[in-house]
Amino acid sequence: MKTTIRIWDFPTRLFHWLLVVSVAAAYVTATLGGNLMDWHGRIGALILGLLIFRYIWGFIGTTHARFGSFFPTPRRLAAYLKGRWHGIGHNPLGALAVFALLTDLSVLVATGLCSSDDIAFAGPLFSLVDDESISDKLSALHAQAFNLLLALLALHLTAIGYYRWIKKTNLLAPMLTGKKEVPRALATSSYTGGGVSCFFITVMISGAVVWGVWGGVEIVKPVESAPVPVSRPSF
Amino acid sequence: MKTKLASAIILATVATASLAGPIEEQIRFRQSAYSFLGWNTGKIKKQVIDHPETFNKDYVAAAANAIAAIANSGLGELYGEGTDQGTGWKTSRLKSEFFQKKEEVTAVANTFNEAANELAKVAATGDINAIKTQFGKLGESCKGCHDLVRIKE
Repeated sequence: MKTTIRIWDFPTRLFHWLLVVSVAAAYVTATLGGNLMDWHGRIGALILGLLIFRYIWGFIGTTHARFGSFFPTPRRLAAYLKGRWHGIGHNPLGALAVFALLTDLSVLVATGLCSSDDIAFAGPLFSLVDDESISDKLSALHAQAFNLLLALLALHLTAIGYYRWIKKTNLLAPMLTGKKEVPRALATSSYTGGGVSCFFITVMISGAVVWGVWGGVEIVKPVESAPVPVSRPSF
Repeated sequence: MKTKLASAIILATVATASLAGPIEEQIRFRQSAYSFLGWNTGKIKKQVIDHPETFNKDYVAAAANAIAAIANSGLGELYGEGTDQGTGWKTSRLKSEFFQKKEEVTAVANTFNEAANELAKVAATGDINAIKTQFGKLGESCKGCHDLVRIKE
């Protein structure tokens, strides 16, 4: 006997789909280049905010969003591979994918903040990296982390497809509606935690971090007007 | 007509690259050129895009002229045989397939050349929005060459 339960709260779903759109937009803007690089930077800042949100929400959000509830410990992984895992949220393999994606995206954001495209765009923290060889390496790492992201996303989509068509488990619908059909025996109490005030606090903290990183640097190093050009240089 | 002339000049400079001197010197000169280019694009970005309240028409026009001057200076001469391996100020990031892609290289070099000359023209008018648009096109032309022949690391 199956019953429908609420599994993914609205903030988690909003986070997921905003991330999908942002990552796609970040890719398009970086590929087209030119003046769109400024948008690439802004979208990167949005992704930073989304990631900060998810990390905090992983501790104070609803049951299945909390990292503790699905962290892939060796025991949980072994149980799953033997067919003995009976949870409702991210299964241990899915959990590995979640953490791999979160980590890779975090590396992308962190390196992006310090990167330059060697044309006219630099991340907001680029000026804080004094050594050029270090910022070169961070820019290179940014590109490499993106290649890894493509591989992880291919894996992610393949897995979703595999679950849908081979294992007959629809994972897309729950991430859209937040509801999932589960065996009655597994449907314990409805999820707890992650209320409205938690959500607002988390959003505020994420926003503050993004503001600090994006705009705060200029409070430390204010912009000066350029000197008026003269035909005879005056040293 | 101008494009044909520019192509001819570019092909000629690429062909005379053998006259350019030791490999390390070629790499160093071109790395210097791009570094100086970055200083000038940074000036334009700051005054035209990031902080338009600081816009100074002459300052931006001077930077655009410097960029055009570099673009017109015959950089092709600094891409002689063997300059994909070597160190100037830094290790060269030129892809080896550069030497097999002469036509494509000429095409992206042309694009850069035209974009830079157009930017200098537009900057002389002082129209900040037009400068911003053309600056974007210049950035895309820089990227065109990087994507084609520059190692990503």
